[in-house]
Amino acid sequence: MTVHVRYFAVLRERAGRERESVEIEPMTARELVDRLIRERGLGLPSPLIRIAVGGAFVEDGSVLADGDEIVLLPPVAGG
Amino acid sequence: MRSFFFLRWPVADMFRLTSDPIVPTHRSDDQAGAFVTFKGRVRSRNGGRTVLRLEYEAYAEMALTEGNAMVGEAIERFGLVDAEIVHRIGLLEVGDTAVWVEVAAPHRREAFAAAEWLVDQLKWRVPIWKREIYAEGDSGWIGADAPPGGGKFEVEFGRRMTCLHEVGEAGARLLGEARVLIVGVGGLAVGALPALVGAGIGTIGLVDPDEVETSNLHRQTLFAAADVGRGKVERAAAFATRLRPGMRVETFPHALEATNADALIRAYDWIVDGTDSFAAKRLLNAVCRRHRKPLVTASVHRWEGQIMTVMPDGPCLACLFPQSPPEGCVGTCAEEGVYGGLVGLVGSLQATEVVKGILGMSILDREVLLVDLRTSDVTRLARTSRPDCEGCRGELPGSDDPLEVSRLEQAASRFGAYRVVDIREVGERPALAVPHLHIPMSRFDPPSGPMVLVCAHGVRSLVLAAELASLGIPAVSLRGGVSAHPELADAGPG
Repeated sequence: MTVHVRYFAVLRERAGRERESVEIEPMTARELVDRLIRERGLGLPSPLIRIAVGGAFVEDGSVLADGDEIVLLPPVAGG
Repeated sequence: MRSFFFLRWPVADMFRLTSDPIVPTHRSDDQAGAFVTFKGRVRSRNGGRTVLRLEYEAYAEMALTEGNAMVGEAIERFGLVDAEIVHRIGLLEVGDTAVWVEVAAPHRREAFAAAEWLVDQLKWRVPIWKREIYAEGDSGWIGADAPPGGGKFEVEFGRRMTCLHEVGEAGARLLGEARVLIVGVGGLAVGALPALVGAGIGTIGLVDPDEVETSNLHRQTLFAAADVGRGKVERAAAFATRLRPGMRVETFPHALEATNADALIRAYDWIVDGTDSFAAKRLLNAVCRRHRKPLVTASVHRWEGQIMTVMPDGPCLACLFPQSPPEGCVGTCAEEGVYGGLVGLVGSLQATEVVKGILGMSILDREVLLVDLRTSDVTRLARTSRPDCEGCRGELPGSDDPLEVSRLEQAASRFGAYRVVDIREVGERPALAVPHLHIPMSRFDPPSGPMVLVCAHGVRSLVLAAELASLGIPAVSLRGGVSAHPELADAGPG
């Protein structure tokens, strides 16, 4: 199945892209993030990255579905 | 040039500013039978506060033009022979003369009336601000007095806001009674401050220890080039009272610290986060929760901003980001750069949250709003409370280091299920009173699943946690070890 990932802030810069569609086996939201950390060199510890699916933040164990719109959000500190 | 008896027309120095003690000219003119002199002095009490000294600041060019025009007008209006005003600027001590007004008229009635009219007009028309420095160490900028004639300026100032259906007279009153604290007078404050002043917020507090730097100006546009090297809170306060002279601005040229945060935050109704460090944001989050004060927090990165409002009973910042990023992990404006127009926008959104919150309108209390100005995308994401969140309980972050916890409960909120592993060598005392595995560090073989490592003082366990983290094994160290946590020690003999 395919999910659509959007990267924000430092994650977008590290991933070198703003959005991408990813082919996945059935997996949880956190498993996808861990995979993207490795494949895209996101360079942040996984627990720091928050995951939203379909416009709402989800728990790590939330199971992804075909077509999910996923947003990955890092903490941002600038002011 | 002085005004001579035959010259009854405004001349350039009927209104003067001086940074030295005032020496009046004591003009004399044979046509004048009545001289009225008004002397304004620095007094030691104001609004229940003890005033140590005063600082006057003028927008000199405009003050001189307006001041001279005003005196000329008085001469015409009251048929005066002569008039003179001298106003001090700079630092004044209690008892010093701050302003001197002298009026010469043929008869006493015009002289008294003109002197009073001039003092009222002076406070209302001439751009001079005073900062009171209090015995408690803080200070407040006070703009010109409300204009004569029943606050006509205030009414006109607020008219377009009050016209809004959602505001009205009642809403305007709520805004006028509100006390809003802005912590961090940087880019975000540039957007927030003008919008809050414009909305008619009655009292604004400003907290920042820094001085204006040249590299700030491109995004902190309420400052001017001439402000470089001067205190940010003072310059921002001067901006606010120029915009709306009757408002109150309280300045705190200090950093927000765990030691002063409670006292500062307690004194306000709404808190705006203008800080640029995650540690400061977490501190604000915790202290606002502790005192049940709403917090509008935001941050910016290059072209992107995040903003959310933390209400006393809603999800907090630590619910969304339970851990602080390690140093250098997420950049600051200094390291990463930031588009100047972004901070004005995000800060203005923060002010809007405050205004709407005061008016009871819907706010971002269960969402985070993401703005990306590169693409013009705006995204709203729903957020919920996290069970057992220490930020919600108003607790300060025990440790900003992802390798440490200060209490076992923090490991629960970080990992869910976890094991306690005692890594001390065989024979070290006291034994742990909580369920645990004992795997001495000298022959450590990691068990499966997340773990909290415990040793005597938290040093060996931190080293081991770092080593395990580098292998991708979830482990944290209990800060301070058993010696800092007597409640974990077995009280029995041995």
